[in-house]
Amino acid sequence: MGYRVAIAGRSNADSTPLPYDEMMTADGSVRPHYKALDQRVATLGDQELADRQKTLERFFLLQGITFTVYGGESSTERIIPTDLLPRIIPAEEWAVVEAGLTQRLRALNMFLDDIYGAQQILMDGVVPRELVLSAPSYRREMQNLYVPHKAYANVCGSDLIRQPDGAFAVLEDNLRVPSGVSYMLANREASKRTFPGTFRLAGVRAIDRYPDLLLSTLKGMAADWRPNPQVVVLTPGVYNSAYYEHAYLARLMGAPLVEGRDLVVHDNMVYMRTTTGLRRIDVIYRRVDDDFIDPLTFRRDSSLGVAGLFNAYRAGNVVICNAPGTGVADDKAVYAYVPEIIKYYLGEDAILPNIETYLCREPAQLSHVLANLDKLVVKAVGASGGYGMLIGPHASAKERADFAEAIKADPANYIAQPTIQLSTAPCLIDGAIDARHVDLRPFILSGEKIVVTPGALTRVALKKGSLVVNSSQGGGSKDTWILGAEESRP
Amino acid sequence: MMLARVADSLYWIGRYVERAEHMCRLSDVMLNATLDRTDAATQVASIVQAAVGDPETGIGLTPYQMARSLALDREDAGSITASLSRARENARQVRDQITTETWERLNLIYLRVTGPGAAKAFEDGSSAFLNEIISDLHMFKGAADATMSHGEGWGFLMLGVYLERAQLIARLLKVCFGDDKQSPVTDHAALTSLLRMGCALEPYLRRYTADIQPKLILEFLMFDADFPRSLRFTTSRIAEHLAGLSGYVDHSSHSGPERFAGRLKARLQYADVDNLQIRDASPMVGTVLDECAAIHSAIYDTFVAYSLEMRLPA
Repeated sequence: MGYRVAIAGRSNADSTPLPYDEMMTADGSVRPHYKALDQRVATLGDQELADRQKTLERFFLLQGITFTVYGGESSTERIIPTDLLPRIIPAEEWAVVEAGLTQRLRALNMFLDDIYGAQQILMDGVVPRELVLSAPSYRREMQNLYVPHKAYANVCGSDLIRQPDGAFAVLEDNLRVPSGVSYMLANREASKRTFPGTFRLAGVRAIDRYPDLLLSTLKGMAADWRPNPQVVVLTPGVYNSAYYEHAYLARLMGAPLVEGRDLVVHDNMVYMRTTTGLRRIDVIYRRVDDDFIDPLTFRRDSSLGVAGLFNAYRAGNVVICNAPGTGVADDKAVYAYVPEIIKYYLGEDAILPNIETYLCREPAQLSHVLANLDKLVVKAVGASGGYGMLIGPHASAKERADFAEAIKADPANYIAQPTIQLSTAPCLIDGAIDARHVDLRPFILSGEKIVVTPGALTRVALKKGSLVVNSSQGGGSKDTWILGAEESRP
Repeated sequence: MMLARVADSLYWIGRYVERAEHMCRLSDVMLNATLDRTDAATQVASIVQAAVGDPETGIGLTPYQMARSLALDREDAGSITASLSRARENARQVRDQITTETWERLNLIYLRVTGPGAAKAFEDGSSAFLNEIISDLHMFKGAADATMSHGEGWGFLMLGVYLERAQLIARLLKVCFGDDKQSPVTDHAALTSLLRMGCALEPYLRRYTADIQPKLILEFLMFDADFPRSLRFTTSRIAEHLAGLSGYVDHSSHSGPERFAGRLKARLQYADVDNLQIRDASPMVGTVLDECAAIHSAIYDTFVAYSLEMRLPA
């Protein structure tokens, strides 16, 4: 059984190694942990699969798990494309991922504590001083500010990819306001309905404790000065593309979902306007970017935040999660130094490797990048969401020339990486099973301790051969089954 | 304790779903009545046109065209689709405060009336289309009743429902009996249609038998103690929910809406029903409409748009 892995756009002259397939080995047999699913899919047949895919899409639409597409006179709501075939990761592979992510976030929190404190790592010259201090995501205002448990990035969503040899590597750390966790949870709901029998027998690890764990992580941030802290979720509002997720997490945590206009700062305390007057707030899980949380401290034209919020934070009367300024640790240029950062603080080698990265700010690396534009992926340091990047091998000569000019004009703003091969996984595309590139976004919580949720969002590049998985650029998602260790299975 | 903005949204969900249901009933009754080419049919169409509140827009339209635009016109703020969209938009903004069961019902109705098949469904059978929305809205209310906590949020939702209902029924009575420029409706078929618009025909028949008289209809829709759409019943629910909500407030500054609602409730409860005349309709209904408007703004002043200086912690 199984399926034929074929990726469009490959010529025989292509010397890059074949991508790793999650289900099939290179010699065409099904990997052991995919066997049960493979058999189930084979017995269902195409029509039944298509029906189940429809049921799943209807489930998402009914729940309102949608994002709004604005255009013309009317705006329409669409569901994020969701694929019904789960991606399966065996226990021993996950153990490496889990250890690697924990190590990485520990080191990054220590890094943040250091650069917003004594800046020892900069004095020791491990990371160039001007790289950190000139990054737009570095917040001078955070200098010497007390952060409980030194936990700066309370919620982290890292993007991992699987290399052709099957090993996971970190493509990007997201320490600001990572999103997607609601899709992880909703995909799980859906796949339990789609493949109940296979799911039960596989011994998939549960992820439904995520909201509890998030709530206790958030409460733990204020626990040493408030016995039962009031936690709220701060959203930019209903027009934000991740609004569904904000409401979802608020509902499952039982925390009020507030907008900037619901909050008031008085005497450096933060209050929300309730029907019975003002009520004090202790912890804000904000899903609003740094720039917008406080017009007095950051962007003055922001109407999404609360005037005076940052001063209340400085005064220690409220905790903002994630802490402002965490973005400096997931800066695309700082990323290149993360293995050294781990070594510096923990004395360990990084368990999960980085992707090789060239910094255009370094003249030697810049000339290498410019000479090899046709082989590299170039990214603007400040951009995210798949914007502002050049995929060398897929770009035209003119696009490459234009991009080269942009790099030369502002080299510090660009980094380059070799064209990475994302692994492929079977997906149901137009009624047939076909290979599509996927990545992996696990979610890590850090407060008093670090917890990696045994699940992840698998993002799928739905266009054949495409490597871009971002939902803003035609990406979809699918459920991710992390299998329990062999002895704990029923 | 709940966010003032959330209370506001729940209140408006209540108002919009009630309005949508009422408009569905009005359209359906009108389309049904105007199948006959009688004077009563014309009268029913003009009642609906006046009750919908915008006499300008209906000019020159056939009842069918009017009903179609009332149902589907997204540009018209008073249309059924617009009301349902707004109810759903408010629900989306307080998605964390309402149960999934409740949300799904409302989302389902919304997806149907705004979906690509809506216009065709209306053309294929307007009555089925409208009645399906009505019964879906009943399911929405049922799901809310059965799954949501009957606490503060519920109180605001119900307050919206009953306040809107009181105003809609009062407006209908004003159009039929209280308009000084027009003589009261007396035609039998038109009166039956009026009862249908208030979803009151069967309960009325049970109470008064098939003796259809303007005075009795007025009496029933204003003063009946048990009929859920009578003004007396709705205002007594408004007073009840406001009393419930004040249990959550620790200030004494909230007497505004409660006092207005209590007074209105007493007026309707202890009115001199035996000596009721049709010409009393105009002042009585006018009072109800004024008091409802006063309750609405008092709710805002007390729970939602209060001044911060009054509520800062000491």
